[in-house]
Amino acid sequence: MKAVVRNGVGVFTPQGFLDGAASTAILSIEDIEATIAQNADMILVSLKKVIFFNRNGLDAFVKMFHKVRSANHSIVGFCDYDTKKYEAIIRFFKDDLSFSLFRSQDIAMLFSASYKNQNKNVLLYNEDKSQRAAMAIELHDNGHNPIIAQTKEEFDEKSDAENAYDLVITDTFLGQMGQKVATRVTGNAIIYTVSSFLDAEIGNTFNIAYHNNSLNVGFRLFIFDTYKVISMNVHALNFFSKLSSAGAEYNATICFVGMSFDKTPKEFKETLEDSGIMFFNQMDNILQDKELLAELGASSAANVKEKRVLNKGIVTELPNFIEATVATIEMMTNSQAIKEAAKVDKIAIAATEGNIASSIGFYGDIDGMVILVFPKEIAKKACELLIGEETDDTELILDTLAELVNIVGGKVKTLLADQHISVDITLPRTYPDIASLLEIAQDKKGVQVDLSFNNDKFLFFLTR
Amino acid sequence: MITNEIIDSFIEKIPPAPKALKETLLFLNAGELVKASHVAKEDKALSTYLKVLVNKPIYGFRNEVSDVSQIFGILGVSKSQQAVYNYMMTLLSPSKWQLFKLNRVLFYNLQADLSMNWQKILTHLEIEDKDILSSISLLPASIIVSEALFCEKKKDVELLRSVNPIDLNTILKRLCNTDLFDICEQIATKWEMPADVSAIIQAASGVKPSEDERSNNLGKWMHLLLFYTLSQPKYIEAELNDFIDFQIEYVEDIYSDFSDLMEIS
Repeated sequence: MKAVVRNGVGVFTPQGFLDGAASTAILSIEDIEATIAQNADMILVSLKKVIFFNRNGLDAFVKMFHKVRSANHSIVGFCDYDTKKYEAIIRFFKDDLSFSLFRSQDIAMLFSASYKNQNKNVLLYNEDKSQRAAMAIELHDNGHNPIIAQTKEEFDEKSDAENAYDLVITDTFLGQMGQKVATRVTGNAIIYTVSSFLDAEIGNTFNIAYHNNSLNVGFRLFIFDTYKVISMNVHALNFFSKLSSAGAEYNATICFVGMSFDKTPKEFKETLEDSGIMFFNQMDNILQDKELLAELGASSAANVKEKRVLNKGIVTELPNFIEATVATIEMMTNSQAIKEAAKVDKIAIAATEGNIASSIGFYGDIDGMVILVFPKEIAKKACELLIGEETDDTELILDTLAELVNIVGGKVKTLLADQHISVDITLPRTYPDIASLLEIAQDKKGVQVDLSFNNDKFLFFLTR
Repeated sequence: MITNEIIDSFIEKIPPAPKALKETLLFLNAGELVKASHVAKEDKALSTYLKVLVNKPIYGFRNEVSDVSQIFGILGVSKSQQAVYNYMMTLLSPSKWQLFKLNRVLFYNLQADLSMNWQKILTHLEIEDKDILSSISLLPASIIVSEALFCEKKKDVELLRSVNPIDLNTILKRLCNTDLFDICEQIATKWEMPADVSAIIQAASGVKPSEDERSNNLGKWMHLLLFYTLSQPKYIEAELNDFIDFQIEYVEDIYSDFSDLMEIS
């Protein structure tokens, strides 16, 4: 069984009866290696479809947790259970509870490093005072508003209040937390949160693959929230200098916000500035200043000095890209594609209204980016298969669209692998309107193929 | 991916029940075991199947049983009917499995495991009805239908499920507005299986509770039995464990009873 990874969180969903023999069959050595290779921020095993488990049944997963955490510093644990199952797990592993327990996936997401939604009002209670404090600190660090009930009575009283909280946390236990650098996306900027002492360990806890993916898909502004950093040593200094130099190729900017140099040598600041890093006192000084954002590249992500052009290697593989896209959309919508036109030029979108877009990058033996422009109707139809119902919720459509583009990326990877061309794919990026797509793509030259699915116009664009 | 035309074409290709089988079932229905065994003997494939099935360890016979009349005699009317329906189901199964890592022996084992435990459940529920005993034989049809419809789409299914943990039954329902168990019902109709069988199988999907209380209750037991069986390592390795979604809430009220009966601890 493989974990399904979304937004940096991988979830296993075993079904039925979980004893020692079953869990060993569910989780092979290859599955564990594949999980490590996924490098997710959080790995969870959902128990929502498990009706029976014993200690042996959970052991295989606990061993996997240890391996994944030691390799990737990820948060690991079980989720989606009721109080009875929670108490059973606590009883089974009382002497060795190093993993976490989250009553639901929604609760787990609050503790994930790559969270998307902030400012949740969260009521929490745990009998253990140190657990209460640990949860509150983690939640606060992740941008939420924890409200701690000190007693069971207080908790019962507060949790009775309707709609007072976005989430209520019970039957949850924080084991060893991952030390990954928390990551979130705000508009076209990516914010990383770092804290306490920055040393050589930053090389392990910072997700460099995610950062490179973000550069590949067009992000240009990276902000390090350093309010809680106490000090930095020379290894961390070297790390950030190199990160900034590597980003210069993409015309990317790195900013430090709230960094205090009380316990860090002052000359470090000059070294960081020399490597191109900018310093700000307040986050709002950047995020609320539209002119500054534009200057820093967050609203014009295509501002790359050295534009990359299409080459023979990538154009030769064009049929594979088209096939992967067409086959995926046909599979998702049960409709037939008709190719209408193809040309090599800058992207040209006839109708900007009612369209949404998505892009996915690939790198390896060949590199480039596929951009797909969908009429909202095709996107909605394709999403119906994944979410099971028609929806007008743009955020949900965009989230599902990202999954669809992931499938296209996966198919491209397989088709190219058949020809011994090895590529990795980046995280997909979605655009709620054409204007935001054009910010990164309007000057790029590429191959544009206009397709039609049941008379709905669909645009495929392959570029570098 | 899968269209209604593909489903229609699959249903069209289902062969009618062979004459010898129909006659065997008619005699069994009338309680004529000897006449039934005489007709069954004429169908060599059926005789061989019955011999292989009843000599599986789960049937618990000490000595090998090889003669059809002996087999029918030992099994009695109800279990003989169930065994014949199990054989009919194998006529639909592919010679080579591609979507699932199954083979003929493992599929026969699955039929035997389900059949024996279903009988145990019916004894516990104090139900003596040969049609209900036979209903379990239709359950593996959902696996055969999945194999037939999705075997050429294995990579698409894998890609889809790598981003969304969606089961085959849901994919089919969302694409074609019909599901695996609707197709099972059509097989039952084509093979003139008793009406009770279809009602129980639909409820056993876990997503379509029956309005008839008895069928619904039996559907719960069958749904739970399916996942109890598919949690065995050999079926997990055959990738059968998650072809449909386990509806844990649906079976919650009978779980304690089930766990006592199966001695789960």
